[in-house]
This record gives sequence, C-alpha cells and structure tokens, in this order.
Amino acid sequence: MINNQEQKSIKERVLEEIKSGRIKIRPKFYFVLKTVLLAVGFFMAGALVLFLISFISFHLRASGIWYLPGFGPRGWGIYLRLMPWFLILAGLILILILEILAKRFSFVWRRPIIYSLLAIILIALIGGFIIERTPFHSGLFSQARQGKLPFAGPVYREFGMPRFHDVQRGVVEEVIENGFKIRTFDDQLLTVVLAEETQFPFGKEFEKGDNVVVMGEREDDTVRAFGIRKIDDQFRDFERRLRPAMPFPPAQ
Amino acid sequence: MRDEFSRQKVDEELALLIQSGKIEFFDILLERYEEKIRRYSRKFLSDSEDINDVLQDIFIKAYKNIRSFDAKRKFSSWLYRLAHNELINALKKKKKNPLPLFDLDVFFPQHLSDNNSLGEQTERREMAELIGKCLDRLELKYREPVILYYFEELSYKDIAEVMRIPISTVGIRIKRAKEIMRTICKKLGYL
Repeated sequence: MINNQEQKSIKERVLEEIKSGRIKIRPKFYFVLKTVLLAVGFFMAGALVLFLISFISFHLRASGIWYLPGFGPRGWGIYLRLMPWFLILAGLILILILEILAKRFSFVWRRPIIYSLLAIILIALIGGFIIERTPFHSGLFSQARQGKLPFAGPVYREFGMPRFHDVQRGVVEEVIENGFKIRTFDDQLLTVVLAEETQFPFGKEFEKGDNVVVMGEREDDTVRAFGIRKIDDQFRDFERRLRPAMPFPPAQ
Repeated sequence: MRDEFSRQKVDEELALLIQSGKIEFFDILLERYEEKIRRYSRKFLSDSEDINDVLQDIFIKAYKNIRSFDAKRKFSSWLYRLAHNELINALKKKKKNPLPLFDLDVFFPQHLSDNNSLGEQTERREMAELIGKCLDRLELKYREPVILYYFEELSYKDIAEVMRIPISTVGIRIKRAKEIMRTICKKLGYL
C-alpha cells in the first residue's frame, strides 16, 4: 500500500514538473554540439600530443642527448639525467586525457582499454617522429631566435638548444693536434681535447664541416672528451636549416 | 483510444513519438519502467527517501535528454545507463565505495568460453539461492552485472551498454561474482 503511494507520487511529481514547464526536452542541437565539442577536444588533445612528442624528439636530437646511449653505460647515465622528464610527464598526462575522451565513443569502450591505449601511443609516437623530420620545429626555432615567435619563443629558446655541461653538439671548424674545434648551434667556439679514454663508437676520422656530438667534461671553452660521435643525418631539416639562420658568419 | 494505441507501441516507438513533441506518451514509459528502475535502485541504495529522489532525477533526466536516445538501439539499455550514472553519483555523494576508476578486467582482453552456459535453468536456480543470501556482500562491480542479468534479465550486450565495458568483461564479472558468492556463502554456512 505504502509502496503504491510512493510509486504514484513519483509519477505524479515527474509529470507535474513536465506539465508546469519547469523541465523541457533539450533540443537535438544540444547533443550534436556536445558530440562536436567532444570530437574537437579529442583532436585538439591529439594535435597537442603530436606536437609535444615531435618537440621532445627535436629537443633530444638538436641537443645531442639522443645520441648519448651509443657511448655505453656512462652515456646512458647522462642520457637519463638530461631527459626532459617534465615534457615526457606532460605527454603521458595528455595521452591519458586522450584515452579518457576516447572512451566516450562506443567503438572504444566496447574493446579492452589496452587496445585503444596502444593505438593512441603508437599513433602519437609514429606521428611525432614523422613531424620531427619535417621543417616544422626547426622553422619555429629559427623564428624564435629572430624574436618572431612571441608565445612559444621562450620554450623553443630554452628547450631547442639548451646548454649542457656534459654534452655538446656542433660542427667541426678546425682540426688541431690533439682534437678539434667545434662551433655549437648556439654560436660558441669550443676546443675538444681527445684523451686516451675517449670513445669513438662510430669511427675516429673527423674533418672540417662534420656534425658531431661530444660527451665530456667542459671547463670554460674546453671540453675533455669521453666520447665523440659523428652525426650523419641528412634527412633532418634542422641540420641544414639552423646553421644559415645562426647569427654568426659561416666558418672559413 | 490512446491507451490502446500506446500499449501496442514498443518503447523505442514511444520514445520517437516523444522526441517528435508528443510528450503525453512519456507517462507510458514512466509506468513501464518505474518499478524496474526502483528495483534496480534498491540494490544500490537502502534508504527509501534516497531511492525516491534518485528515481525522480532519473526520469526527469530521461525526459530532458530523450532526444539523445538513438531509436536504433534499445530504450531499456539507454534508461538503465542513465540510472546507472545517477546511482553511482548518489553513492559518491554518500562517500560509499562505487566502481573503481581503474580495473584490470577492463584493461586486458578477456576470454569467456561459453557465454550462454550461465543462463541454463540449473545455473539460474543456484544463482537465485546465492543471490538471495550473499549478493549484498559483493563489490559493486560484480553486484551490478548480476542484478542486471538475473533480476532485470538484460543480455550481456545490454549490460555492456549500461556499464560501458566490453561484453567479455560482463561475462567474466558474472562468472567471478558466482565464485565469490559461493565462497562467501560457504564461509557463512549457508551452503
């Protein structure tokens, strides 16, 4: 009896709300807009992930960190220490946001999370590495150096070509008796001194114009090298593009 | 006349009529589902006042959002999904332990060998006995698919729609629920 009374009152309460006009059916447009906004949010987050991963890759290669594991355990140690963990964490958070947004689509939640998560990570990594090979970041970096990039400029100046104590990246300007001089991408002339323990994992023949990564201890403008590696990456635009954009005259 | 007309209509046809502006048909859906949703809500909440409040919210939301319902799908799954969300929110407000944020059985693919074996009569009889004695002691993630399958008689596919989890996970959770309930009932001396 009490139950019937309750049932009646619920039905009556709801119908009363409807009849009074206090609640109204939402228009179809409202739901279409919600779906569109969700899709836009998903693609924006996706674009941001692609940008971030390609930027991390650009930062690692342009600074020379990418090549450090080739120098063995010591190289690995410095590699792990210099990795841009903050950017990597931001990338992981964005991937998580993407997964949460994707789970609102039925074709995603019908399958185990591992599939969508792996698909997002794979697309982000492949897409990020493809973008890194285009002139996109080197172009933005050049603009940042010329002060033409107001918002992202500081980020590019900080991460694009950071100054590290343990790793230097540049072009051989002059071969000297016990080493060579390199011009770094941020316009510093450094003397690289070879020692007995210096490793050459990819050959020890260097000449003027070679693109090199040097791992070693820096003191003022001299680097005592623990490892030197020649970089021959003709596919990357910034190798060609950054040098002419540098605000110093080309080497003699 | 209208009653005769509406009685012949399935839920999805009624929902389409309401979507087109014939809001007077909403009370038919209310009549059809009020008791079902009340029974479902009782498995989440115990206080009858709370249940009434949530019920009202569920049907008001159903009315407001009726145009988001896709008539190619089942109305019952759509309404239970709405009820699921409202009940989870009600539990969160009460700071009771609702569904976990992350669950391994939704993360990795699951293999369920025979989807229909649980539906056999003997299985159902055994489950009815277990449910009667030990259902309340189950975690919500196991309790809910059991309620939807054995009480509300939804299919695995419909339960997957309601809980937004893969169909295989529904089967796995019901299978595990049965094992857990059997263990609990044995410990309590009911079996």
